[in-house]
Amino acid sequence: MFNRGNRVLIRKSLTWFVGVFGVVLLAGCGGGGGDSASTASVPVETPLSAQAALGEKIFSDVSLSASGRQSCATCHSPDNTHSPTNALPAQFGGALLDLQGRRSTPSINYLSFNTAFNFASDGTPTGGFFWDGRATSLQDQAGQPFLTDFEMANASKADVIDKLSRATYADEFKQIFGADIFTRPDDAFDRLTLALQQYQREDTDFRPFSSKYDEFLRGNVTLSDQEMRGLALFNNPTKGNCQACHPSGKAADGSFPLFTDFSFDNLGVPRNPLIARNDDPAYYDLGLCARGDMDARTDLCGAFKVPSLRNVAQRHVFFHNGRFNTLKDVVTFYVQRDTNPEKWYPLNADGTVKKFGDLPTAYHANVNTVEVPYNRLLGGVPALSDAEVDDVIAFLQTLSDGYTP
Amino acid sequence: MPKHRLNALPARTVIAASIALAAGAAHAQTATETELARRLDQLATELAAVKAQLAQIQQQRASAAPAPAPVATAAAAAPAPAAASAAPAAPAAPPAEPATVLTSYGEINYNRPTHANQNAQADMRRFVLGYQHRFDDKTKVVTELEVEHGVSSADDPGEVEVEQAYVERQLTPNLAMRAGLFLMPVGLLNENHEPTAFYGVERNFVETAIIPSTWREGGAQLIGNFDNGLTVQGGITTSFDLTKWDATSTEGKESPLGSIHQEMALAKSHDLAVFGAVNWRGVPGLLVGGSLFTGNATQAQAVAKARITLWDVHARWTPGRWDFATVYTRGSISNTAELNAALVGNPTLIPKTFDGFYVQGAYKVWSHEDYALSPFVRWEQFNTAKSYADLGAGLTPDAARAERVVTVGANFQVSQGIVLKADYQRFRENADLNRFNLGLGWSF
Repeated sequence: MFNRGNRVLIRKSLTWFVGVFGVVLLAGCGGGGGDSASTASVPVETPLSAQAALGEKIFSDVSLSASGRQSCATCHSPDNTHSPTNALPAQFGGALLDLQGRRSTPSINYLSFNTAFNFASDGTPTGGFFWDGRATSLQDQAGQPFLTDFEMANASKADVIDKLSRATYADEFKQIFGADIFTRPDDAFDRLTLALQQYQREDTDFRPFSSKYDEFLRGNVTLSDQEMRGLALFNNPTKGNCQACHPSGKAADGSFPLFTDFSFDNLGVPRNPLIARNDDPAYYDLGLCARGDMDARTDLCGAFKVPSLRNVAQRHVFFHNGRFNTLKDVVTFYVQRDTNPEKWYPLNADGTVKKFGDLPTAYHANVNTVEVPYNRLLGGVPALSDAEVDDVIAFLQTLSDGYTP
Repeated sequence: MPKHRLNALPARTVIAASIALAAGAAHAQTATETELARRLDQLATELAAVKAQLAQIQQQRASAAPAPAPVATAAAAAPAPAAASAAPAAPAAPPAEPATVLTSYGEINYNRPTHANQNAQADMRRFVLGYQHRFDDKTKVVTELEVEHGVSSADDPGEVEVEQAYVERQLTPNLAMRAGLFLMPVGLLNENHEPTAFYGVERNFVETAIIPSTWREGGAQLIGNFDNGLTVQGGITTSFDLTKWDATSTEGKESPLGSIHQEMALAKSHDLAVFGAVNWRGVPGLLVGGSLFTGNATQAQAVAKARITLWDVHARWTPGRWDFATVYTRGSISNTAELNAALVGNPTLIPKTFDGFYVQGAYKVWSHEDYALSPFVRWEQFNTAKSYADLGAGLTPDAARAERVVTVGANFQVSQGIVLKADYQRFRENADLNRFNLGLGWSF
């Protein structure tokens, strides 16, 4: 029965229970709603380690080139998100700075999140540095331009180290890596590239997350109506579908989007006559299958790395061959490549369009024609109208770092 | 050692209470008055035998053999069918060791879509093994481990999960406290979801898509069982995690809460939730009840705070051979406009409200010894995206159309704990899903 003893115990239990409820409810109610969210992913600036500080000096040391006028920073300029300030489709290098490169210079921002090249569990090629993913790490990538004849054009690793030993920071180099380091040029070159890697990893200038879109994700700012329309078109799998390769949402762990999934795609970008190598009609830049280690994978010929869209509005040339100079051309190409190919490709002698002309005919089938938005047919309706293209571009402009309200 | 509780209460009172609760509890089996009387006599005989053996054992040594706690509490609180809780009174327990009872249920299902029979599928849907261990007549631990889809590995579709793991302490004859990972007392199916406890091969959509299937949280609750047939539960638990919402997948459209529940797997716990449930079984054969759950769910990791609230009302009436049931449930999420702003354009945004309703009727058309055939009909309507918060012209997704499912079939019971099922389901919105189902289930 419901006797007095039980009633007392029940009352005590419920009082205790309500007390705990109350504490928990108050605890749940307290505090600002988005405290951790409003500062999420803002990189914390810490002083560079000794290696990274050395790397910073090496990064802008022009004496380490054959011409004496080219450093990493020359093409990867800190003044423009570590990408070129000029509008050349490929930069010039060599001892006389008169040899044109093969491909456009990417930004090297937000690459500390990239991994070595690998095939994902579903077979998708992923990762790797450079347009064809051939370098396994930032360190590996940093070392290659020193030795390319159309870039910094040093004769050998020993040649680079010889120049390094006469740099203003040579003593600092010896102090960190050993007094005898210059007697071992291969080791010294490894240390040089390591320092460059550490600099890129530690300096928050390489990953500012300071764009308007970042502030929007933090809840500190709202996007304009046009920018919101652009974001919606960017995300919509039946319209722009851009986020299929350029993810725009926060990851499951709360980290902010990099706007690349570090995979590869073959877009059939038109041939760029401004690249001297293309004067030879037999020359084709085949990208992923032409690295040397993937000759058998002819299905990957013509595929190039998906770059991050962060700071894309700061770029002056787009795609691996710098074929386009404006975002308007780029986004319109995506949606009208197949509906209006005559706008993008040259005509053959017989008047037909030389579609996918920057690939040998055997590899035309490699071009991506199944994913939205480049899955339309000749004469069809593009996935985005002209006004919608402008909306998407307005959104892309919110991805530029250094936003101040 | 305290004098044995069983000696203090008249046997008939205990049995009558257990029968009344067994009849009212969410269990598939209902007896006629004759059967009730027959069972009463059967149990009285068994109990008398047990008491005799107990007295014998008590005479033999100092420590008391364990005995079942007041059956009233065990039947109301334990997830196992009420009939099984009488079983632990078996006198075969080794000396000075409390009773440990193994429980299990399993479902093997076959589905054959009628418009797409290339998608026919047979599945070891659930294999559940659990134990209840009684430390003394006031304290027990209840656990359940589940394997879904037969084989669980990185390359296989199955999953292994802890479905329940809680301790329960009887504070007074009417009040118990439960702490750990437990099933939420919501709807008719969540706490009693063994295949012998529901009609149809598949659990109904209202209680899998709106109320997330096998919804469990970690926390503590008080359970009060009153002599007037009222059971009141209330507690504090972990909440959902809205930062898990994946706008690019369809999971959120299939079950909004199912896609963001945490299942006590490294659960974010900055935000906790409170819940309450009231169930009344004052009249034998009738259960009426409701529940309310509410808690913040953004765990201080999103741009806005959002609260998830889910409530339900339910009733079950089992007059004679009939078995009627109905549930209405509704969920809502606050501040979804702010959370959806960064997700615009994606296929699956966070809905503002979602709800579901069903009515079901079954009739035991034939029974003989321990066989029983019960055909049933269920009509249900549910909408996993009933409304969205306004995001602006052209950006706000359209509300989904409610899906309506009619299920017609029968349960065929073989002995107390085995059931064979067959049914046909028709979907109004997505006729490709129309299917014919067969099922085998057991529970003990």
